Amino acid sequence: MLRCDDYYLPATLDEAFDLIERFPGEHRIIAGGTDLLPWAREGRAGDVHIPVLIDISRVAEMRGQKAQDGRIRLGANTTFAEFLKDPFLKRHLPVMAHAAIWFADDQLRAAATLAGNLVNGSPAGDGIPPMVAMEGSVVLESRKDGKRHTRTVPVADFIQGPGKTLLEPGELMTAIECDDMEGWGSAFEKVGHRRSLVISTCCVAALVKVDWATRRFADVRLAIGAVGPVPCRAKELEQSLIGQPVTAETIRSLSDRTAGFVRSRSRQEYRRKVLASFVERALGDALDELGIAPVSQPVHGEERLHA
Amino acid sequence: MPKITIQTTVNGRSVSKDVDPSLRLLDFLREELYLTGAKEGCGAGECGTCSVFVDGVLMKSCLMPAGKAQGTTIETVEGLAERNRLTVLQQAFHKTGASQCGYCIPGMVMAATSCLRGNPHASLDEIKEHLGGNICRCTGYSKIFEAVELARDVLNGSVPATALQEDAFKDSFLGANVRRLDAPSKVTGALKYAGDMTMPGMLHLQVLRSPHAHARIVSLDTSEAERMPGVEAVVTSADVPGVDGYGVFIHDQPVLARGKVRFVGDAVAAIAAETVAQARDALEKIKVVYEELPAVFDAEEAMKPGAPLVHEGNTDNICQHIPIRKGNIEDGFAKADVILEETFRTQRVEHAYLEPEAGLAYVEPDGTVTIHSPSQNITHHRHMLAHILAMPINKVRMIMSPVGGGFGGKEDMIYQGILALAAIKSRRPVRYVFTREESILVSAKRHPFVMRLRMGLTKDGRITATHMHSISDGGAYALSTPGVMRKHCILGAGPYEIDNVRIDAYGIYTNNTPSGAFRTFGAMQSLFATESMMDMAAEKLGLDPFEIRRINAMRDGAVTHTQQKLGSVSMLQVLDTLEKGSRWQPGVPNGRGATRDDLGGPGTRAPCTLGVRLRDTSDVAAE
Amino acid sequence: MYDDGRKKRGRGMAAGWYGIARTAAIDRAGAWAELDDGGTAKVVTGVTEIGEGILTVLAQIAAEEMGIRPEDVTIGDNDTARAPEAAHAGATRQTYMIGNAVALAAREARNRLVSVIAEKWQVPAESIQTRNGEMWAPGTNLRLTMEEAVAQCKGVGVVPVGSASFTADHTALDPVDGSGRPWQAYVFGAQVAEVEVDTATGEVQVLGIWAAHDVGRAINPRGVEGQIEGAVVMGVGQALMEDYQLDDQGRTTTPGFAKYILPTALDVPQVTSFIVEDPDPLSPLGAKGIGEPAMVQTAPAILNAIYDAIGVRITTLPATPERVLEALASKREKAA
Repeated sequence: MLRCDDYYLPATLDEAFDLIERFPGEHRIIAGGTDLLPWAREGRAGDVHIPVLIDISRVAEMRGQKAQDGRIRLGANTTFAEFLKDPFLKRHLPVMAHAAIWFADDQLRAAATLAGNLVNGSPAGDGIPPMVAMEGSVVLESRKDGKRHTRTVPVADFIQGPGKTLLEPGELMTAIECDDMEGWGSAFEKVGHRRSLVISTCCVAALVKVDWATRRFADVRLAIGAVGPVPCRAKELEQSLIGQPVTAETIRSLSDRTAGFVRSRSRQEYRRKVLASFVERALGDALDELGIAPVSQPVHGEERLHA
Repeated sequence: MPKITIQTTVNGRSVSKDVDPSLRLLDFLREELYLTGAKEGCGAGECGTCSVFVDGVLMKSCLMPAGKAQGTTIETVEGLAERNRLTVLQQAFHKTGASQCGYCIPGMVMAATSCLRGNPHASLDEIKEHLGGNICRCTGYSKIFEAVELARDVLNGSVPATALQEDAFKDSFLGANVRRLDAPSKVTGALKYAGDMTMPGMLHLQVLRSPHAHARIVSLDTSEAERMPGVEAVVTSADVPGVDGYGVFIHDQPVLARGKVRFVGDAVAAIAAETVAQARDALEKIKVVYEELPAVFDAEEAMKPGAPLVHEGNTDNICQHIPIRKGNIEDGFAKADVILEETFRTQRVEHAYLEPEAGLAYVEPDGTVTIHSPSQNITHHRHMLAHILAMPINKVRMIMSPVGGGFGGKEDMIYQGILALAAIKSRRPVRYVFTREESILVSAKRHPFVMRLRMGLTKDGRITATHMHSISDGGAYALSTPGVMRKHCILGAGPYEIDNVRIDAYGIYTNNTPSGAFRTFGAMQSLFATESMMDMAAEKLGLDPFEIRRINAMRDGAVTHTQQKLGSVSMLQVLDTLEKGSRWQPGVPNGRGATRDDLGGPGTRAPCTLGVRLRDTSDVAAE
Repeated sequence: MYDDGRKKRGRGMAAGWYGIARTAAIDRAGAWAELDDGGTAKVVTGVTEIGEGILTVLAQIAAEEMGIRPEDVTIGDNDTARAPEAAHAGATRQTYMIGNAVALAAREARNRLVSVIAEKWQVPAESIQTRNGEMWAPGTNLRLTMEEAVAQCKGVGVVPVGSASFTADHTALDPVDGSGRPWQAYVFGAQVAEVEVDTATGEVQVLGIWAAHDVGRAINPRGVEGQIEGAVVMGVGQALMEDYQLDDQGRTTTPGFAKYILPTALDVPQVTSFIVEDPDPLSPLGAKGIGEPAMVQTAPAILNAIYDAIGVRITTLPATPERVLEALASKREKAA
């Protein structure tokens, strides 16, 4: 049960900083709220008393999205639902729609923000691998002695470990920036124990660009989540694909080089097995989105599974 | 207590209230506005019983602090239709039988409404994605999908509104699809479950539960708790006036721990206070000194000599052993051409009815103690409670409130006794509503089983002997364990006529969460083993799965494993109907999936790939 | 979608049986009925709805017996101080035990009314028909609405009430060899499951279930289907994902719905039901039951289908993605 004594809905960043200064050490920032309330329950944090909740979901400066200099800037109040609906976001960040459809359900997506997902820093956060893949960075703002300070930190550095980030007390994540991926093929693979409201056991975000003249990989982004303390980018795998022909054999050839990414302590063997196939499948689906579906040969040994 | 002022528009009405800032939107609607259509199924955004529209967007109101609703426009299930009327979607739910227990239904109606508002032409797969955040435990979702598709078609004009009418009555009401009489109250959120009920002067109960699996209670000091603000009664086992014990077959469970706790979650003491928060605060002031005792967490370990005794006074931890003997299995195995042997295991399963346990108790002017609760067995609960309270049986009144799913899990009287004691002691009405976590922690689970099964068959597929040896973890209290062992055994060898059968099931006490009644009462476990082995046998003998079952099936006049002679037996008719109806291609079950031709036909759905709406190119074109 | 050839399909089946009402113990249920003013009726019995639709079934039964309409029946229920004992809501006993008790009580109330009118009409009581709110004597022009009939009955000082008790005569099991007559009515059923197994993830999707079940007599076929569909999905949960787990100190590690995994709308098969009717000869209605019986076959049918798809026999429930991949790996090792 979460208990609080006061609840504020600042309309501007300055109002938010006013409140942060007014209630040092007594407040907690809330955006979508979809993580905070389930956390304050039996079996997790139990009964929790937070004197002041500062709800930043109506801060004007944290809304909206725009493209600038090959990057996309997302206001921190961008929700997962927007990635499924907003034509601008679907065009420039296609992989986010694929990740969003796997995120919780319609109703949680309508409240939960990508920024909240990053601030939480869960190893299984669905929004993180795509952001890592897209060279995402977070904009962190604070106010000291009436002066605003802004710093920009790559997502890959921002998330330090399960639930651990570089966010300082008094700091707000006000925006997220990442590469503009318009025209890339993209995919998001995820497995848990069901198909909705599902927590990831393993997930992969893939983005591909193809040189149409040679039918070779022009550029590739791959990031892996839920199999280690923090989601991570698979740069070596990306590099090894660039310039290679777009075939099922090429993408399948990566499968014996993925095991090293699995660093979580539980279900290691399972995660290794899944990841080996997921990288291929994610690349295949990303290519499929571009209209190139490499034809797959039967998987080794599978045809003899039948007694 | 600090207050914040919430101004909203709810179902078209302006609302301004000074409320506790800790309230969630769900609490605000239910407690401040008495709009109890939205339910609290889990409190963690995982079930959807609380779905409401906030500024036209569907949200889980258990995840929204009331403060967040400031200035918004809210629409609840009560606001969808005019009074005494139903929306097209609600009518469709009524028509198809989409509501069963009804507890998920207000949320489900809201999710479906949201889906059709967003896309009046949503495909079935898109509908499913939009309902993906709303769990239903009763219906299997089928009739809900049917209702949403029907409403969609009526709303978009592709079928006439007459499709919503009840099927015409023919010669008899028996065999007719009469619409459920309780559906309108469920689809509108009007039906009051126990947790929705209030009474003037009502107190709220909370229970202190054991953190240990097995411990002696050295001391229990409630004096500080009694002095906490808002506390009206503190209840312990010392308050039980009569014979303290309940259970479906064996009365081995005290209303509140009596000197000892036997599983994590065992009820120790209870507090009735003016608010839930006050009761919870006071629970923290109860001082319990435990002396931890050796505990046993595995049924087979618990059967060994010298294992810690869960119930002192018993000579061992065997709660119930049921034997079945028919013919002579040694002779049967001697006649067998093949003998198969395998060990099968099943897990503990949570009932997960969407309505967590809840109850409301009060003392009537004539001294009768009355308890409303979604109990599946008010008759037996009344008997037991009369003994516990040392009251005449006609002064104990149990009323079965609408049951938001039971499945056997609400046969156990795990909290009604505590409520009665609190109402008597406080002289006030007392309500107790479990959280989801509390429900999962303390309610009974489906019995987990380890089953060693040995089956002998002749070359032509005839079973000559079945020998099953089952051990089940019954947990800390007996609850329905004796009955579950019995049904497990009676039905375990399957619907087959077998000359030689030996089955033993042992239900064992351990310090785990108690196991209890759950839909099929032990039979699905033993039949899982038998039916898996039937296919293994079919493969070994080169027989089709239907064929091997037909060879052995009970027929009219068959003698069962308990040596009962049956009259008419429908097994063959059922097998024939299914084989034809499922378009089954006969063959040996040897992993022939890749080569069979009967896959993917009528009656199957497409595999779920998620993102139907992303692949729908119509809205891309519109951009 | 990119097809990596790792998704395999298969089918499996399983049969089962079940006993109706309390096991190996005599079962009983009582009910009161009254044909009331306006041609409506009150029916009172001790235990009813837990979601399965029994209220509607009882109203259908009472309406049929009394010659009125289901919506004219008010059911007073579920109060140990105000209603006759009907025991408990479980054991697939509601339609069988309480349904028959209500049928018999309603029949008695109706017969009391009919005998009064028969005397007025000077016709044999057995000749009078009642249906859908009307009463008539075939071959005559004697006809009344039930509203008028009740008024006339009360006019001569008779309140048309009835009561009944229904018993199922079960015996206890012998403590040594388990012999006995645990039930008087049995049902049989069988199901086919079709699955897709993703050998990359171990995930199993159940795409179709075909379920054939004998219910004796379907009072409300749609309600029967609803029970089958719900039981099947509960079976899917048990077969594939649900698992209440405890650590080595008896503490749950699945304390909420985020960890205790239930099937969602996206995890359920299409269900096709076939209702088989082999009427029970020992009870007035001939109906048996379906609440529990429909869930015994689902898990083994799914596990047999997994074997069909990938040649792997899973003997421990649930067949989670991890278990499926583990079993595949050990099969490969053995083959190698």
